[in-house]
Amino acid sequence: MWKYLKKYWFYAVLAPLFMIGEAGMDLLQPALMATIVDEGVLGIGHGGVGSLDIILKTGMQMVALIAAGGACGVLSGVFSNLAAQNFGNDMRKDAFRHIMHFSFSQTDRFTTGSLITRVTNDVTQVQNMVQMVIRGFVRTIILFAGGIFFMLRLDLSFGVVVLCAMPMIILVLIFFLSRITPRFTILQEKLDKVNNVVQENVTGSRVVKAYVQEDYEQGRFTKANDELVGTQMRILLLLNYMSPIMNIILNLSVIAVIWIGRIKVGDGSITPGSVMAAITYLSQILGALMRLGMMFQGISRGAASARRLQEVIDTEPEIRDGSFEGEPALRGQVEFRQVWFNYPERDPILSGIDLVIRPGETVGILGMTGSGKTSLVNLIPRFYDATDGTVLVDGIDVKDYRLKDLRKRIACSLQKSELFQDSIAGNISWGRPGAAPEEIRHAAEIAQAAEFIDIKEKGMEEPVAQGGHSLSGGQKQRLSIARAVLKDAEILIFDDSTSALDLKTEARLYEALNREYPDKTKIIIAQRIASIRNADRILVLEDGRIAAEGKHEELLETSKIYREISDSQIGGESGG
Amino acid sequence: MGEVEKAKDRRGTLRRLLAYFAAEKRRVLLLLAAVAAGVLCGILAPDLQSKAIDAIAERRFSDLPGVLLIMAAVYLFSCFTSFVQGLQSAHLSQDTVRRMREDLFGCIVRLPIGYLDTHPHGDIMSRMTNDVENISSTVSQSVSSLFSGVLMVIGTVGMMIYLCPPLAALSCTTVILTAVATKFLSAAMRKAYRKRQTLLGSLNGTVEEMVSGYHTVAAYEREEAVIERFEQISNELTGVGIKAEVLGGSMGPLMNLINNVGFVIIAAFGGYFALKGMISIGVISAFIIYAKQFGRPIDEIAQVWGQIQTAIAGAERVFGVMDVEPEKAGGRINMEELGEEVEITFEHVNFSYVPGQRVLHDFNLIVKPGQKIALVGSTGSGKTTAVNLLMRFYEPDSGSIRINGTDIRQIDRDSLRDATAIVLQDTVLFADSVRSNLKYADRSVRDAEMFSFAVRANVDRMIRKLERGYSTVLTADGDNLSEGQKQLLSITRAFISKPRILILDEATSNVDTRTEKNIQDAMVKLMKGRTSLVIAHRLSTIRDADVIVVMDQGRIVEQGNHETLLEQRGKYYELYMTQFAGQQI
Repeated sequence: MWKYLKKYWFYAVLAPLFMIGEAGMDLLQPALMATIVDEGVLGIGHGGVGSLDIILKTGMQMVALIAAGGACGVLSGVFSNLAAQNFGNDMRKDAFRHIMHFSFSQTDRFTTGSLITRVTNDVTQVQNMVQMVIRGFVRTIILFAGGIFFMLRLDLSFGVVVLCAMPMIILVLIFFLSRITPRFTILQEKLDKVNNVVQENVTGSRVVKAYVQEDYEQGRFTKANDELVGTQMRILLLLNYMSPIMNIILNLSVIAVIWIGRIKVGDGSITPGSVMAAITYLSQILGALMRLGMMFQGISRGAASARRLQEVIDTEPEIRDGSFEGEPALRGQVEFRQVWFNYPERDPILSGIDLVIRPGETVGILGMTGSGKTSLVNLIPRFYDATDGTVLVDGIDVKDYRLKDLRKRIACSLQKSELFQDSIAGNISWGRPGAAPEEIRHAAEIAQAAEFIDIKEKGMEEPVAQGGHSLSGGQKQRLSIARAVLKDAEILIFDDSTSALDLKTEARLYEALNREYPDKTKIIIAQRIASIRNADRILVLEDGRIAAEGKHEELLETSKIYREISDSQIGGESGG
Repeated sequence: MGEVEKAKDRRGTLRRLLAYFAAEKRRVLLLLAAVAAGVLCGILAPDLQSKAIDAIAERRFSDLPGVLLIMAAVYLFSCFTSFVQGLQSAHLSQDTVRRMREDLFGCIVRLPIGYLDTHPHGDIMSRMTNDVENISSTVSQSVSSLFSGVLMVIGTVGMMIYLCPPLAALSCTTVILTAVATKFLSAAMRKAYRKRQTLLGSLNGTVEEMVSGYHTVAAYEREEAVIERFEQISNELTGVGIKAEVLGGSMGPLMNLINNVGFVIIAAFGGYFALKGMISIGVISAFIIYAKQFGRPIDEIAQVWGQIQTAIAGAERVFGVMDVEPEKAGGRINMEELGEEVEITFEHVNFSYVPGQRVLHDFNLIVKPGQKIALVGSTGSGKTTAVNLLMRFYEPDSGSIRINGTDIRQIDRDSLRDATAIVLQDTVLFADSVRSNLKYADRSVRDAEMFSFAVRANVDRMIRKLERGYSTVLTADGDNLSEGQKQLLSITRAFISKPRILILDEATSNVDTRTEKNIQDAMVKLMKGRTSLVIAHRLSTIRDADVIVVMDQGRIVEQGNHETLLEQRGKYYELYMTQFAGQQI
């Protein structure tokens, strides 16, 4: 946290300095007020005759003082905001930057909803805390110390009251705060839960509606909401016991001051005006102490949020850049050497894969659901790291590349075509910003997307809604393919990304692809044999192993599984 | 975002916000009573204090213990009222916020699909979290201090008028100055706060979109560009935030200044009146205390004002979502009343998502009871749209869809959806156990029954291989299940709901063909006598369909079963031949 604050130390120092100005004026004001009352109005020291002159003169001074103090206050506000909000901004940006460099298993671990809360709500809490500390904290301390100083200057005996009241207040503060603080962490967790339910419902609305589970979801939300409100309620109730107790201590102290005042005025050592001033200072001292307590509460809430943010910032991206800088001799070769992979605490998904894909080769991958097809290709751009063994691209271990250099070589069209709120052209050129309109058009044509784009009202400039809901499944896939094609990488990976295309379109797509980019290495995961039957080589994956490989015709003869798959797709008419 | 920023009806928003409190009349009354009693104590206390000091000044020391005793009693009572006040305001604020969140969620869950499809999800979520949170903290912190502040000012003014009307009138300059300053500042403040909340919404939207679409961001090394866009919004938010806060923060010093000017005015004129012998010293000292006391509530009101501005800006956004017209509930007719067998007819249905861009043209189709109907055709030909209309996710522009002759608009929407199960290409599973996910439609289903469905859908073995079998809790992001496995789970979920109409929209596209065959075999058994609609690209999936409907650009171009369509040598034949000939066509 200091690291972030250090950058704005200038503001962070100026803010309390101006605060001292403001608080100083607040401290001087009671004395001036006492002068107005004692000398101007009551005429003490002038034989009981007030003086308008003194009132006006001192009054002017006081107003000028307050105006100066107010100006200091505003400036202090400006600087503390500059410090706190810029600090929060930096922290937010850094947290987001970190998230954007997480590995997939790291985002899996945090969950989307929680990451969102951390970058938004938690940042606000931390920001509030910093603001409070550099402004309120300093102000309170000054009022506290100054109050004691001025009060003792009036008469030392008033100090006895402060001395008695202070430990009591501190004890009460400790008692309550130690009970409240831990609840703030719980509070943020409950907030996460509420967020997650909302997020699921917003993104999964079709399913909720289709199963008519609105009431069930409402119940789920109510439960999460009740827990959140319950936690907040307990915090508020605890605070509510605290403040009356504090008030009683404060008020008893006022009575004690008056009593001491009686004695002191009795022996003529102080004036009644001083008693009034003493009461003002006393309220200031004890009020400051109470505010300090409230501040600790705010700080503990902020600290809970800061911890959650720190968790994100401290999470070092698992996938680190390698040191390889040169240009490998090969272009488009992928090799797996005894590669094993499993998700944490799960059974292996890939078991000892050995495979070489040569530059320019087209490889089709076929296999049962869950046989490890996606996991296999996910290792190439290091979306995940292999648990054991080595994956090489162009003869270099993927872990040796700088991540950027590695991913530049690979264009993936993922199973889930994620599109963004942008125009169609913007979505296609997502992997290569600044691509010329002709290039975008060309990519769209190869992906067989041009025809549907052309009938859109705004063509390429047609906006795409979040998640691409304004498009059909096949249209989304084609945009995602166009995006991959435009990226112009030496290795193209299609992870089942033509499943929503009709076969004719798919056939045209592959034909265009082969015609335009014969040199690219193409790795195509598919369910339909028709999608890959012309591949140079077809791999059949089963239970994380390569069960068979070869050309279509060879596999039909040699592989029982392949024949089964083929039969299941074209019925008894195989070979047609 | 769009529409909410226009709703600048502050008074209306405030009224609706207040309506939430009105639901808890008893608490509100109790709170107000406690606040009023507290204010009374607050007004009495300085009077007593000045009496005590008078007693000291006039050396009537024997009077002092009595005055102090009363003071102590007043203080104690005041603590008690503040306790009651805190208790009530805590309950009130939390209850209000709970209800508001629930209402908002109730609206979100009933938002039309069309709205959700076209609005950033993160922004909708931001309303639930940031905006409601804002209202929550404002209500718990500010409302009672606002009320007590106002009462305090009124009470103090009342006391002052009672003591000396001319001086009281002078004190009112403070009030007037305050009102003017507040009005001036708050307009600017509200504008800044509203802008801040909007930006916060779009910040949230970006985070949500990019974090959930992170796989694609990473695949295209767009991290830096995304970060840049985020930082741009974040910076803008910071700028607006600083402006809003500084404006809000200058309220306090300004009030302090006004208040002290007021004090000097009172002291000057009070002194003058005293010199003239118009008022006693005691009255002046009381006045001075009152004038000082004036400051605190005004200061408080000023501080609270800023918070209230944010809360109103937030409430505007919350109500903005609540005002979106929810899905139409449909008619009263229950699916049960329409008989066991289901016949679906589309009659001259026209539909467009965006006005002017028609997606379905004069769509006519009869689905006989128990039939399996397949919709095939190139992407964007309107297959999913037909399903969207049947499910009433969208409403047709013209024409009608009937079930057993009854327009679906007359059928209770929930009962229609209840009778229908849909499996989508993009699977949605919830952060819950596999068991709860499978029993999503009907939690009363017994485990044994669930197992038998799972076995028939060929998913049992896969589930049992998971770490904790059926009790494995999936994370929101699908927990490392492959897309195909997720599809299998959602198909099983559909089977378990025992639908009368089953819709599979590209539901098996990520499932391998052998598993798909097993699912189909299961479907034949499970869907016996029930109506099903299947959208698929793999023709093997739909060869056995009773009717195959070939669509092109929103129109039906061919219709018939596999054999007759092949004989026609039309579009279906073409598609079918590609299936076998692969890329060679």
